[in-house]
Amino acid sequence: MNNSPHILRDFDTAIAALKGEVLNMAAKSRHNLERAVQALMDRNRELANSVIADDDDVDELERTIDRLGMDILVKYHPMATDLRLVVSSMKISMNLERISDHAVNIAKRSKKIMASPELNDVNLIEPLYTLADQLLRDAIASYSDGNSMLGASLHARDKELDRMDKDATAQLGSRIEDTEGRSQDYLHLIFIIRSLERVGDLASNIGEDAVYLERAKDLRHMSKSDREMPEQA
Amino acid sequence: MSNSMNDTTRTATAPVPNNPNPIAKQDAMIEIDDVSFSYDHGQTNVLRNISFDIPAGKVTALIGPSGCGKSTLLRCLNRMNDLVDTSKVTNGQIRIMGQDINASDVDPIELRKQVGMVFQKYNPFPKSIYDNVAYGLRIQGIKNKPKLDEAVERSLRRAALWGEVKDRLGSSALGLSGGQQQRLCIARTIAVSPRIVLMDEPCSALDPIATARIEELIAELREEFTIVIVTHNMQQATRVSDRTAFFYIGELIEYDSTAKIFSNPSVKQTEEYITGRFG
Repeated sequence: MNNSPHILRDFDTAIAALKGEVLNMAAKSRHNLERAVQALMDRNRELANSVIADDDDVDELERTIDRLGMDILVKYHPMATDLRLVVSSMKISMNLERISDHAVNIAKRSKKIMASPELNDVNLIEPLYTLADQLLRDAIASYSDGNSMLGASLHARDKELDRMDKDATAQLGSRIEDTEGRSQDYLHLIFIIRSLERVGDLASNIGEDAVYLERAKDLRHMSKSDREMPEQA
Repeated sequence: MSNSMNDTTRTATAPVPNNPNPIAKQDAMIEIDDVSFSYDHGQTNVLRNISFDIPAGKVTALIGPSGCGKSTLLRCLNRMNDLVDTSKVTNGQIRIMGQDINASDVDPIELRKQVGMVFQKYNPFPKSIYDNVAYGLRIQGIKNKPKLDEAVERSLRRAALWGEVKDRLGSSALGLSGGQQQRLCIARTIAVSPRIVLMDEPCSALDPIATARIEELIAELREEFTIVIVTHNMQQATRVSDRTAFFYIGELIEYDSTAKIFSNPSVKQTEEYITGRFG
């Protein structure tokens, strides 16, 4: 990322505002995900409700980022890194909005699980959440720090989350057959796991956007060998 | 000018940092080879060791801040700089279709028939629309009226002006709008069927609609002519050109496909210029 100032200072201000709102949205989305999982673990209905309510803020931020991006495109006709920053910021905000939607899904399903007595298998969620959150944290860092190597690493690391999703889903699937009367709750848990797996995919997308921003390289749908990148000088 | 391009075996230019994706030599219409140029008898070179090839049938944009030498280089391509007594190419060669255009046996008038030029400020002659377009042909000795009529119509059609002026060909060219006058100048340039058309900021004095018409015209003419355009308008360079050369203080900083230059330039100076960080 080119950090030299523009001759037009308003352009710098607009770029900084756009980036600031993306990071603000990222923090909110990540926080919503954290609280949604916390609500499930602690059987905290109030916390789940606040996650659902706060998603509106994230939706509004997506609109704000699109507007700021469009303003920059219209006013400053950005080129090269500036253009890539606008495009990747708008794409990242879309991924963040989906992450917050998954947080809402988790919160809603948590509330349904809370209607029945405590379920020990809820603990299966924790390691998946831990990894999904690490991926999300690193995805945000790859964008904010311009760390394309970190961004590019997320795709491979997401495979581990996919594997954990598969194992946990199989485990919970077998419980449905064994446990009478809680099949709905187990289905909710399976969908919560699926949401966390999707968060990993979306974090990986954000990492790819960060690579595009820094290197102008489009990693989407590339094979493993094509994804390899030399260290930047 | 002789066409020695076809009978000369050429090898591809080796990649260099400021020209990472050179065009194949056989595709080059203009070869600029280590050219330096001075306006003061060689005391100061305003262009220094410029080397790159301009492909045939494409639009090549020359960009850079004021004073970087892009218009000077453009004027070197048809020896317009000869009109400045103290100017000279101090080093290197410019070859068009393989011919060194500064060789002693090259007549600059003949050269300019092959390398036409459109200027920043439209400059039709104070004559009729018809006479403006027919001017170059008459100088070439064509007097036959039906032949001139046919050439004038063809050139005005190619310049996308025929429909607007066909009923007033005898009217003064100075009565046309700015955009129409510039298209008339393009018609006048292409009437003599040059191989190359040089354009020095052809839209800088035009409104957005007239600019769009000229850009559309450039897109249509690219198939028939090799076009080299100097522009300060980055968006225009991205819209109309296939390749872009970026100059700074008399040096070629980077030359690549336009898409590469404006999305991911290889050289930091290029990036800083096109993103508005320069200076």
